[in-house]
Amino acid sequence: MPANPILNALRDQYLNTQLAGDRRAALRFIDDALRSGVSVPDMQTHVVRAAQHEIGKLWQEDRISVAQEHLATAISHLALAHLFQHAEFRARVGRKVVVACVPGELHDLPARLLSDALDVHGYDVRFLGADVPLQDLLAVLAAEKPALLALSVTMLFNLPSMREVLRQVRSALPGLPIAIGGHAATTPDAVPFDAPDVITGSAEQLLNDIDRLLAARA
Amino acid sequence: MSAVPEQRWSTASREFELGCDAHGVVTWLDERAARGLGLKVGEPLARVTVPGTEEKLRGFLARAHAAPLDNVEIPFVIGGHVVSCFVCSRPEDGGFALLGGWLPQEHSRSVREIEATMQEVVDLNRQLFKAKREIEQRKAELERTVAELADSNRGIQSLHLELQEKAEALQRTAEVRGRVVANVSHEFRTPLHTILGLSRLLQEGNDGPLAAEQHKQVQFIRQSAEELRAMVDDLLDLSSAEAGKTLMRPERFSADDFLSGLRGTLRPLPHAADVELRFADAPADLEFETDPSKLSQVVRNLVSNALKFTERGVVDVSLARDGDVAVFTVRDTGIGIAAEDLPRIFEEFGQVPNRLQTQVKGTGLGLALSRRLAELLGGSLTVASTPGEGSTFTLRVPLEHPEVRELSEIRQRPLDPARSPILVVEDDRKTIFIYEKYLAMAGFQVVPARTVAEAERLLETFRPAAIVLDIMLDGENSWSFLTRLKRDPQTQDIPALVVTVTNKEQKARALGADEFWLKPVDQDLLLRKLRSLKVASPPTRVLVIDDDERARYLIGKLLDAGPFELIEASTGPDGVAAARRHRPHIILLDFLLEGITAFDVLDELKADPLTRTIPVIIVTAHTLESRDRERLSSQTDVILSKESLSRELAINRIRDALSKAGVGALGGVP
Repeated sequence: MPANPILNALRDQYLNTQLAGDRRAALRFIDDALRSGVSVPDMQTHVVRAAQHEIGKLWQEDRISVAQEHLATAISHLALAHLFQHAEFRARVGRKVVVACVPGELHDLPARLLSDALDVHGYDVRFLGADVPLQDLLAVLAAEKPALLALSVTMLFNLPSMREVLRQVRSALPGLPIAIGGHAATTPDAVPFDAPDVITGSAEQLLNDIDRLLAARA
Repeated sequence: MSAVPEQRWSTASREFELGCDAHGVVTWLDERAARGLGLKVGEPLARVTVPGTEEKLRGFLARAHAAPLDNVEIPFVIGGHVVSCFVCSRPEDGGFALLGGWLPQEHSRSVREIEATMQEVVDLNRQLFKAKREIEQRKAELERTVAELADSNRGIQSLHLELQEKAEALQRTAEVRGRVVANVSHEFRTPLHTILGLSRLLQEGNDGPLAAEQHKQVQFIRQSAEELRAMVDDLLDLSSAEAGKTLMRPERFSADDFLSGLRGTLRPLPHAADVELRFADAPADLEFETDPSKLSQVVRNLVSNALKFTERGVVDVSLARDGDVAVFTVRDTGIGIAAEDLPRIFEEFGQVPNRLQTQVKGTGLGLALSRRLAELLGGSLTVASTPGEGSTFTLRVPLEHPEVRELSEIRQRPLDPARSPILVVEDDRKTIFIYEKYLAMAGFQVVPARTVAEAERLLETFRPAAIVLDIMLDGENSWSFLTRLKRDPQTQDIPALVVTVTNKEQKARALGADEFWLKPVDQDLLLRKLRSLKVASPPTRVLVIDDDERARYLIGKLLDAGPFELIEASTGPDGVAAARRHRPHIILLDFLLEGITAFDVLDELKADPLTRTIPVIIVTAHTLESRDRERLSSQTDVILSKESLSRELAINRIRDALSKAGVGALGGVP
């Protein structure tokens, strides 16, 4: 994604409201940005998601505490919910997608971003959230019979958990297309998931790939 | 007593101390660090930090041996759980010493729970939002649907309007066509009669014999003219049937008589030698009350058709009863009709081409006319046929004509206490239906009597609020009925409205006397009549037009009893002038004036808007002479003309007459 100076500036302003722990200012900021013509997907990806990335780096560099990180993440959840209401929804495509974080993965913001994007895109989304136990996931898949499963993994140490989920889902539901996203799955040194019907990528990459994949299957 | 301080708090303390070399390998550690973190000397610190935080740990190690660090957050795995520790470090021996502390586990669990709760709330918010969006979409869809419905409704309305216009145009066309057909047919008749008459004369050789060839030619002329006449007659019948002008003349007759009459007229019909015409016996005790001539016209037509198209075999005519319906069946073993031609045969000139067509003569109107007549009789005419095997025509006709039944229903219904009964002495059903229609709406109940005798019988059973009498109904009897009515103290105050047929010119003037009284005038009757006039400001002005001074005097004496003003006139013109000048509330007009008739006076009074509405009572000392009746019947409308009954005007005249006569519908507005 080529960095856009305007979007970068917006990201930094948003980040400041997050670090100040001012959720009202954050929402006001989002409203102002939307009014000035910034699109909802840009806000989702290049402002909220990017700021969240910065938050991670700041904690890494010990410049913010875990408590601040939690607060900032909470504000981002609120921001995404707010953006969701301003999205321009496409016509329903009549396909169901289940979105979940693998067991142990507590970072559900990337999964949330993908869920919102899919929802706006016309998919029928079941968002299961962070740290979804494998048995729960399998039960939901059996009951909902989705067209696709999207899994999110942020921390590298959760990759074994991701591989276990893949193995189990494959054996229970062979042929179910699976999309994998999140930081751990998309870092350059991540080992590719070598399985049929699996695609990996960032939220916006996945969105296009999912469209293509499901359209090809229709 | 006193333990080593470190040991005293070793189980309760959330702090620990340890030392590391520059690579983060533990060089020493206290008991809390050993137990809590599970570390040993010589092990790297990275063994107990949370996977995924390696980078952060590396950054910490790189700085810690060089400079003191405070408040660094490092997540350790303690007892299988991730626990954030806050650590401070100081450089020491090329490595660093570290003081760490962790928060109570409940705190971070609570933070996670709060976070999860918040996320659920946010999720719920999304679902609510989506539900709201969906409702809005449904609403928009509904509104679109409503708008579309309104559009199509408007479309339907305009379509309906268009249809109505088309229907009206069609009806007008049909009317024009009907009139043209009727007129043209009628106009054809006269020259046809001339041709027929003259060709007969020529054939009879009255003016000299014809040569054989000429005779033959005239014979052809005559045959053609006969065919043309038959066609014109059928056309006329059909057009009057379609215009609803055909008069029904229902009679009572038995099926037996009807069929034997038919046999007589049908046997002589020409038909092939190999064809037998058979009549089944009529069911016993089958009685009709319908129009026998129309019924026999239809059956005759069907039989003659069957004979035309049958070369050998039989033509069966039978009659059966199906409830209240008589079913005539005419079955033949003729050439039959193809299924695709069946719908056409009842159309005018809908003849189906066949090999017999050229041999047999037909107007092409017979079946069309038969079906119309069947409908006029309240029935139907249908056909079933198999080509090569024959046809069966079925005529279904109610035993009792619908009009007859309707009339008998009117006749048989009990008196309705909520309505004023009006005795209608009238023999024309259509006229009775018209009275029924309009008077029933005005709150009256029509009690019909077909004859004067019936009217007199009915008068013994109830007292009508008024009597409407067709004076032409029963000849002398009607007049003597009117006379008796007016002489009998029991009935003389029942208003009698006299109806005649209209005069030929169909004058538009609304003529009419409101009542006939016989002299001598009864005082009670007169006073009641005058009091019923509802005069706004007394005295009630009464104009008496009578050439007999004694008669005027007598009326004057009768009026002494109340607030009445008598205006006298001894001649017709004087009377009309006085009526215009004084605008009396009522006029008593002598029937037999010198030099002028009561009708002329009436004409004058009714022609002038000033005097038209004044009730006129004709008073007469004599029962009317026949020439007067003649005049009454042929030249004037005493109350109204039957032929204008259907018009609003005519019915208003009846109501006015009834209300002037002091007869109101019960419960109605006076």
